[in-house]
Amino acid sequence: MPQVRMLADRVRLVSEQTSRFKTGRISVSMALPMDEKAAANSLLIFLLKRSCKQYPDFSLLNGKLDELYGAAISAGVMKIGEAQVLSLSMTCLDDRFALTEESIVEQCAQLLASMIFSPNCKNSSFGADNLAMEKRLLIQRIEEELNDKRTYAFNKCIEYMCANEAYGRDKYGTVEEIQNVKMADVYAAWKNLLSTAIFQITVVGGADADKVADIFEEKFKKIERNPVMPETVFILRGGHFNRYEETFPVNQGKLVIGFRAGMHHSRDNIFAVTVMNDIFGMGTYSKLFMNVREKLSLAYYCWSRLIASKGIVLVECGIDTDKEKKVSAEILSQLTDLRNGKTDPEVLESSKRSLKEKYTFTTPEGICSWYSSQVLQDEILTPDAMVNGVETVTMEQVCEAAKKLSIDTIYMLKAQEEEVAENAD
Amino acid sequence: MQIKQITNEKLGETVFCAKHSSGLEIRVMPKEGYTSAYAVFGVKYGSIDTSVKNDNGEFETIPEGTAHFLEHKLFESEDLNAFERFAKTGASANAYTSFEKTAYLFKGSEKIGESLEILLDFVQNPYFTQQTVEKEQGIIGQEIRMYQDLPDWQVMFNLLKALYSTHPVRIDIAGTQESIAQIDADMLYRLYKNFYNPSNMILSVVGAIEPQEVFDIVDRCIKNSDGKAAERKFVKESPLPVQSYIEEKLSVAQKQFLLGFKEDLDEPLLSLEDEIASQVMLEAIAGKSSPLFKRLLDEELIDMGFGGEIFNGFGFSCVMLGGTSSDPEKTCEIIRAEINRCKSEGIDPAAFERAKRKFYGRYVMSYNDIDDTANLMMNLHFNGYEPFAELEVCKKLTLDKVQQRLEVIKDEASALSVIVPVE
Repeated sequence: MPQVRMLADRVRLVSEQTSRFKTGRISVSMALPMDEKAAANSLLIFLLKRSCKQYPDFSLLNGKLDELYGAAISAGVMKIGEAQVLSLSMTCLDDRFALTEESIVEQCAQLLASMIFSPNCKNSSFGADNLAMEKRLLIQRIEEELNDKRTYAFNKCIEYMCANEAYGRDKYGTVEEIQNVKMADVYAAWKNLLSTAIFQITVVGGADADKVADIFEEKFKKIERNPVMPETVFILRGGHFNRYEETFPVNQGKLVIGFRAGMHHSRDNIFAVTVMNDIFGMGTYSKLFMNVREKLSLAYYCWSRLIASKGIVLVECGIDTDKEKKVSAEILSQLTDLRNGKTDPEVLESSKRSLKEKYTFTTPEGICSWYSSQVLQDEILTPDAMVNGVETVTMEQVCEAAKKLSIDTIYMLKAQEEEVAENAD
Repeated sequence: MQIKQITNEKLGETVFCAKHSSGLEIRVMPKEGYTSAYAVFGVKYGSIDTSVKNDNGEFETIPEGTAHFLEHKLFESEDLNAFERFAKTGASANAYTSFEKTAYLFKGSEKIGESLEILLDFVQNPYFTQQTVEKEQGIIGQEIRMYQDLPDWQVMFNLLKALYSTHPVRIDIAGTQESIAQIDADMLYRLYKNFYNPSNMILSVVGAIEPQEVFDIVDRCIKNSDGKAAERKFVKESPLPVQSYIEEKLSVAQKQFLLGFKEDLDEPLLSLEDEIASQVMLEAIAGKSSPLFKRLLDEELIDMGFGGEIFNGFGFSCVMLGGTSSDPEKTCEIIRAEINRCKSEGIDPAAFERAKRKFYGRYVMSYNDIDDTANLMMNLHFNGYEPFAELEVCKKLTLDKVQQRLEVIKDEASALSVIVPVE
């Protein structure tokens, strides 16, 4: 069971102490509403990652990390429902492996806190050069989403599907928004972050969580907190569905079908929905793997993915462009079977066993991200509680959950025709 | 079976090593406090194995991509396929093929012994028909197409094509649509027999399992074999690349590049010390805390993904540096100049110490993960090393050795691979 303690208003520390790992992981998650300030927030987190008052330069900070036995810092931006969640995380070697007498973990916690609370900032400025560089890197990062067509198609489907919802926004903000961010916006974003974001500090490993708590609690004492809870809109059913397509000079087409899952909130019927999605298209026993791939050889991958924080399910696959109709017909036919209970009872058992394995985390990163993703939840759900919940799901509940899936949007990334002709079997 | 225990005091880990009468090597590392175990059953047969030694002792060419094709096909059997069998224990099973090996694996927390039996059994029982082979050609065909669209993958294979004239490291792991079309069931049985014998394999298990249980299961499940370890042919490559520049247009946002320096090998394999020294050398010269990284970033030539690595195996070794860049030529000019500067002035000792510490830390960290540990023990064995060898080598590494590894980087042995956006 994890330990939970509150360090300030809506600032929670969740820790799981264990000596079985050789590393410790500390992750700070900061949730803000997803809105037009997303671009400034994204730039902020990358600026915070590159330096701090103590190590005011990128090379100095990284030199310090190397000295800390290759401690690694990562900054992240993700969407959890309609919240933009910024994170700074560190993985470091556990103290007992240091070659000299020193506490690596405490130094890392200090460093992480300094980066967030004492950034390299003078006269309300993070440095014009630094901002310009982070803008360039972030814009490049967004543009490079095009390089991996699978992720690109997946995101594109969400963008069309949720065009009128905050969830349709790019998690980093748009290129244009990023270009327009001014230094004052980033500084305001930092002030706003400390005051209004929902914070969760997650600590996993041999570290003394009390020491980490003290370090952060001390910092929050100087902050006036006015937390804002981000809200997410859940749309129960897709209406008249739309299909979008784009053509690229590639070898393989990508088909993504977006469904609404009929959920009212992120934990609504979560156990049954999880099992349903797993049987539909997650495991090697799933309907999509067994039929689209194994039986019909139409794809190397064909998966369904549940995004519970927004109540949607997306099916994605890489196929020959001219097989789109055949593949989507097969996907929908498998869904019909799932709804009608045409599923081997053994598959339900396989799914439960497999999900149990999935929630048996074997790395600090795995445990840490399980808890971090709950930054906006009042109640912490443990992996064990998830397993127990999944265990109770019946085939009827799976069918009912599948009946609630309704198609909302289809996105097809087509391969240019001459490429297809050249590779046709 | 004779069992040898190797302990690393600092890590607090012990590995139980044994060689079964069939020739199979076994490594088991029990881990306290873990509820899961990870097992990998590996065979020394990868994409670079494009020839087999026949009865007359001559090497005979086989199509490209057979190791990977076999990996896909072994999951099938006459009745329940391997996935269906693992579904009954809950373990998640998978497999992968690399340049030098094929590995079958599972991870599970319940019925671990049963899963281990399934793993050993399905890999030892091939079942192919012409029909199932044809079905797989469709699936693998899609896999090949998927990789052809991935710029990271393409930039590397194009570089290997530019560096190597004959070594099969230059071809895609899955082969090509044409090469896999030549594969049939008979060929797969013949190749299976050649490579899949215990003397050519290792079982590596880490996590919540007793070593004795693993040894007992091996005794029960491994068929004795008169097979020999498969031999690889060492063909000395020219010290020079085939071409110094290679370019491909793909649907990408920005140019991507990879600069490679081919090493002139007299022996097929690098020593572990050479390999680690090269990694530390690259980190000291081009890592995130290096002056080079800062300069390239300040000049807007790279992004945070820039980095270098040593890429080596049987008969090949090269140093690669790359990432995304608006101007790959200019970036490479600066990299080359920095390498030459470090050659004449010497690597900064402080940078060397930092890089060494970082690698030592990362090696220790890798023992966290049961997946990483099991794969590491397999790889060490395939290269002729005992468990924990990398830690000892890293601790003893000297600046002289690292400097020496810098000297093998030669400008005339380099090639640049660039992916250019389609207009």
